[in-house]
This record gives sequence, structure tokens and C-alpha cells, in this order.
Amino acid sequence: MAKKITQNEFERVCAPGEVIVKEGQAGREMFIIRSGRVTISKRVGERETELAVLGKGDFFGEMSLLEGQPRDATARAVRETKLLVIQPGGLLIRIRRDPTFAYEMLQKMSGRVRDLNAWVTRSLASGEGAKVPEATRTLVGFSAVLPAEEPSE
Amino acid sequence: MRTDVREERLLVISDLHLGNPFSQASQSLGAFLDYALERRFNLVINGDGLEILQADIGTLAHASAGVVTGLRRLLAADRRVYYIVGNHDIALEHLIGSWMGDHICPFLNVRSGDQRIRIEHGHLYDPFFFKYPRLYELVTRMAGPFLHVRPELYTFWTRYQQLKGWFSGKLSREGVQQPTPFHEGAEMLLKRGFDAVVFGHTHKPEDLPIAGGRYLNAGNWVKGGTYVEIDHGEVTLKSWNPKQLTG
Repeated sequence: MAKKITQNEFERVCAPGEVIVKEGQAGREMFIIRSGRVTISKRVGERETELAVLGKGDFFGEMSLLEGQPRDATARAVRETKLLVIQPGGLLIRIRRDPTFAYEMLQKMSGRVRDLNAWVTRSLASGEGAKVPEATRTLVGFSAVLPAEEPSE
Repeated sequence: MRTDVREERLLVISDLHLGNPFSQASQSLGAFLDYALERRFNLVINGDGLEILQADIGTLAHASAGVVTGLRRLLAADRRVYYIVGNHDIALEHLIGSWMGDHICPFLNVRSGDQRIRIEHGHLYDPFFFKYPRLYELVTRMAGPFLHVRPELYTFWTRYQQLKGWFSGKLSREGVQQPTPFHEGAEMLLKRGFDAVVFGHTHKPEDLPIAGGRYLNAGNWVKGGTYVEIDHGEVTLKSWNPKQLTG
């Protein structure tokens, strides 16, 4: 059920257990939880692994909005959940009227990069560095400090 | 920098303008800080606590000495003090940060009881500030010397603000005051999962229902003193009365 709030934002009410977005599906909106609870999960091999449980004020789906890529994870309502749905054009209008939202988004994403850095560092320290894909190393800024890889035989 | 905290008992004060000749905060705030200490409240200074836009550092240091002592007493008793940056103290951000550590922030998202509360100074929603930032700073700085000579000019400014609000109400079709840019800013925040929004900046204490939540303004400590009390999710706008201090 969707209710228009402004020209660029609307409210969506989800029933308990309802899938809000599904991993791999196309989508360009992001969501802010106005009330309720949402789990974020990702398929790892054959298993669905829960990554996070989000509550009031938390947001998700911003990666697809910013990059236009398919959903990276599945989001599911735990109980009845009200969401503020923001579309790409609407994000800029929101940031204009609610500038601290941009700060909060950057803060959250900076935290994720920091966590990823810590994970890569741990992997390298434990001798599993070779398993860390090069793209991930570049993403988190490690490529410059890593020794050049030996050519494979 | 911490912007998300859980606090059950919190007092929010705004716009002390310590150092500005029109501010009476240095005389009245000591007893209030004793009250916070006595009742075991933590404290938020919600912007424009210190005045550097309209005062020099010497005047500021002199005016803030007593308040700083009171804040030290709170910190020594393991109370937490948060400092939110406003537009009259933004130039002091580094200096305040060196003392407050990660308790200085641009806004604060507080969880108290089952409520989620945004505390922010509010200058970002002031059309004059964001449309004409240079002119705003110039006019504010130019007003400084006049205020040092005639502090009562502040009273004229507040009367002007009251009249402006009254006229906008009279001119509207319904005869009620139109939502200000601050109310609209609060509404944007309330739509994204806050139950209450607490601003300062306007110096006008307010408590209004907006968009299924509440907008409060903590007012000022320039003349008198108003504050917002948060107690296990219950948010109340109050006027300070020194008789509240029992100890």
C-alpha cells in the first residue's frame, strides 16, 4: 500500500514478512523506516544469511538509488512497517530541504568502508590476503600498499 | 563524532550567546547547571552557546568563566555534556572540540524511552542564512558594535520578530500563523522516523504538533531561560525558575 506524501516521496506500509526488495532485482528507490523493523539478508551459496536488523530512522536501498545497480540484498519487514520511499530525483530535493540527511548517509557509508577496511586488514594479517579480490583492495584503498602479485605459473 | 546516542534524562538549552552584551546567561545559568547536577540530568547546549560573531575572545572568556566552571562540575560528576554547533559559534568548533572531544556535533539523534528525538540548532533552515550566507554574516557582524553600545537593541529585534509573526498570521486567509521555514524543516525530519524535533536559533520557545510528531524550540537564555526536558522519552518545554533548585 502506497500513500503519496510529496511529489517525490511516498509512504509504503508493509505487512509482517513482506519482501520489500529482493536481491538481484532492479530498483531505484531507497527507503527510510518510519516505524517497524526490517531484516537485511543476502544469499551466500545456498543459504540466506541475515546481515542486519534495522529499526526506526534507519535507511536502506541507497546503493541501488545512487548506482542504478540491481539490489545487493533482500529486505523483509519483520512486523507491520511504515517506510518513506525516496526516488532518485527526490533525494536531491530532500537533501536541499533536510541537509543533515546527506551527512547521515555519508556517515553511515563511511562506517561501512571502515568496517570493510578492518576486514581486509584482518584477512591480510591472517595470510588470507590472496583471497581478497583485487577490486575490493582497490575499493578500500589497499592496492598502493600491497606488494605486487607474483605472476601465476 | 557521535551523533546517535541513547539518553534517558537530558536537558536541552539553546542560544546562551555568552560574550554578547545582551546576554544574561552568565548570571542565570549557574543555578540551572546546579539543578542538572542535583537531578542527575545530562546536558545539551544546542548551538550559539558561545558568541564569537558579535564579541571578541577576551569578552567571551570573561563572560563564560562561571559557566565553564559549572560545566566542569557536571563533567566531574560523570554527567555528559553535548555541544551542538550553531551559527554564532561555528568559528570556535575546533576550540570547543579540543575540550569536548567527540561530544561536539552538528546535530544529535537521541533515543530516549521509545522515542527518537532530533536535536539541532536550526540555522540551516533560516532562509536568510542559507540564501545569503555572506550578507547574513556581514549584517550580524555589523550589528555587534551597536549591541555593545546599546544592548537594548536586542529587545527591538525580538519585538520586530514578534510583529512579523503576528502580521503573517493576520495576512493569512485563516488568520493563523503560516508554517515558518523552521516548521517545514522539522516536518521533513519528522517524516523520516523522528517523534520530536528540538531546534534553537529563533530564540522563540515553541511546542507545536506537526506531521504526527512534535516541533519544539528550546528558546534562549539571553533574557530569562527556557529549556527542553527529556525524561525517558517524555519531551517537555519548560521555563527555568531558580526555586526549582532545592539543594
